[in-house]
Amino acid sequence: MTRVLVPLAILEGESASPGLTTLLEPVDVTVLGYHVLPEQTPPDQARAQYEDRAVDALEDLTSTFRVGGGHADHRLVFTHDREQSFDRIAAETAADAYAIPGTSGQVDRLLVALTGDVAVDRICSFVGDLIGAREIGVTLFLATDDEEGGRDLLEAAATTLSAREVDVETELVVDAPPFEALLEAAAVHDAIVVGERAPSLRSFLLGEEAERIAVESVAPVLVVRDIERDGASELE
Amino acid sequence: MSMGGEPPPADGANIEGESPQAEPTLETDEATITDDAELERTLGLSGGLAIGIGTMIGAGIFVFPGLAAGRAGPAAAASFAIGAVVALLVALPASELATAMPKSGGGYYFISRGLGTLAGAVVGLSLWFGLVFATAFYLVGFGYYAVDTLAELGIAVGEGLVIPIALLFGAGFTILNVTGTENAAKLQNGIVALLLSILVAFLGYGGLDAVGLIGDPATPEQFAPFGPVPVLTTAALVFTSYLGFAQVATVAGEMKDPGRNLPLAMVGSVLVVGVFYVVTIFVATSAFGSEQLSQFGETAMVEVGRHYLGAAGAFAIVFGGLLATMSSANASVLSTSRAIYAVSRDALLPKRASRINLRYGTPHVALGLAGGPILVLTATGEVELLAEVASFLHLIMYGLICVALIALRRNEPDWYDPDFRVPGYPVVPVLGAICSFALIGFMQPASQIVGVAIMLMTAGWYAYYARDVNLKGEL
Repeated sequence: MTRVLVPLAILEGESASPGLTTLLEPVDVTVLGYHVLPEQTPPDQARAQYEDRAVDALEDLTSTFRVGGGHADHRLVFTHDREQSFDRIAAETAADAYAIPGTSGQVDRLLVALTGDVAVDRICSFVGDLIGAREIGVTLFLATDDEEGGRDLLEAAATTLSAREVDVETELVVDAPPFEALLEAAAVHDAIVVGERAPSLRSFLLGEEAERIAVESVAPVLVVRDIERDGASELE
Repeated sequence: MSMGGEPPPADGANIEGESPQAEPTLETDEATITDDAELERTLGLSGGLAIGIGTMIGAGIFVFPGLAAGRAGPAAAASFAIGAVVALLVALPASELATAMPKSGGGYYFISRGLGTLAGAVVGLSLWFGLVFATAFYLVGFGYYAVDTLAELGIAVGEGLVIPIALLFGAGFTILNVTGTENAAKLQNGIVALLLSILVAFLGYGGLDAVGLIGDPATPEQFAPFGPVPVLTTAALVFTSYLGFAQVATVAGEMKDPGRNLPLAMVGSVLVVGVFYVVTIFVATSAFGSEQLSQFGETAMVEVGRHYLGAAGAFAIVFGGLLATMSSANASVLSTSRAIYAVSRDALLPKRASRINLRYGTPHVALGLAGGPILVLTATGEVELLAEVASFLHLIMYGLICVALIALRRNEPDWYDPDFRVPGYPVVPVLGAICSFALIGFMQPASQIVGVAIMLMTAGWYAYYARDVNLKGEL
């Protein structure tokens, strides 16, 4: 079963928008309530003070994901390091993707960016499971310098999704700044799916690309995890 | 009833009717898992070493060489070596207990679970004061370096400003710790790395010079001009330079893979600083006679730096001293607040003491309970007394850690399952306990009186406030 991890800063009142909740109806959801602490504060000390409040809020939130009949559970973590907790729980729950909540009403059209380091098959298979039999359209997006290769890749992906009776369009951007082009395309879509990227100097300086897309577009972003990379790093 | 891997829950209540937090937890290498929540372990081995080394190195290298050489001559190197051996004899048992009980609170936690509430209360509350004395000592050291920095820059302000500067920064650290939500841990790691590089370069050069490979051979001086007893009393004084390894145990609950990283961080940091201390004394006493070093006082190392490398050497040491005493003070303020949390969680202090500030998410009450007394003690400016009382209170804990280990091993409860076991049991913990208590005997009477008074006060507090709290549980 496909599973999406939804991390929410629970004690800061962060919650999932109705659009995201509805979008995730067909898949299993793990709501990850987290609270980041300054290093002066032992996690256990924060737990003693905030646990009850956080659990109440999490249970309410999780039940909204069950309204559509999907399976949903929750985890609560107190941490000094947000990324480390996300990675651990994503690996433990074998989540296929994680969500950056954003805000959205009803989702009619998804922007699916075939960038990042995740295999296109994985992204397409995730999008197919997510949409299921619903009337949600998909725009496959790719920015590249290699026009011919890019077109082939988009065609192949479009065929895969069309076979699952999804309404697919493609958008190929050549020789333009990829990130800006993606943001432009994102403006006319309700939610975005991207592949996870390996950490780089650029992401270290500017923040993770998915995070920046979420901030710029305000829409929910689903980041498909690179399971192969996780497997490789565990072997080290 | 006991459960695997976890001491039985504490019970009872204090005079206000508050009970110890007793919720069963499951410890994994990556997190502590309670019924409803998970507590991420985020400190790695380098973070643990940075806490240990960062806390220790400030005192031993940048404050004590002049004072120690004045008392024991070149044999002060032996005093530091004795300190390192005692610290190792305790770090090994402490490592075993920490891997069996990887919880915040460190030594306090092991003793309260191994020896019961009275011993736990005395150690836990004494640790609070011990850390307060140690932090005040680091701050006074910082004040001396700040004045020397100004002097190197051509601004002579005189020693009258040492205490005001120390007080100003002490208040500053406390306020920063309450309001600052930036992650300073990475900064601390960087500072420790920078410090170690400065020291390696300086001691490497000075060492070569001192053995006569470069420059002029050093003036030979009798090794122990004042005889063997001052070597031991000096060991008691400089033991403050080894207090940091136990601070690693206060964050045991936040260490990743505690079974591996806790022993490595504790034993490793003692070995690293021990070597640095012994070499430092050797280099310092090769540069100057011990009498002259003694006259230079707290910042004698600045003159040693000048002797070997001229103005650049003096500046490197002044800069290093500022960083080192600052990082020691800051790390100790954090440890103090964790020590207070550990006793308040067990209802030995009012629960209010562990409240977290809603605005900053920091434990402002505990930080205040650390910062306030620190400032009062800093104002005294009594470097040697502060250092010895800090060591006294820590040594009591160290001795009892060894006793707790022996008590647990003699009648091993079901839950006791450490990943690391002390090599050479029972010799190591027995020697550790004897040496810890013996070192106290070599301190100045004033320090012993203050130390005993604090312990009596904490025992009195236990009798008044928390007599009905039971931490040892039924084993």
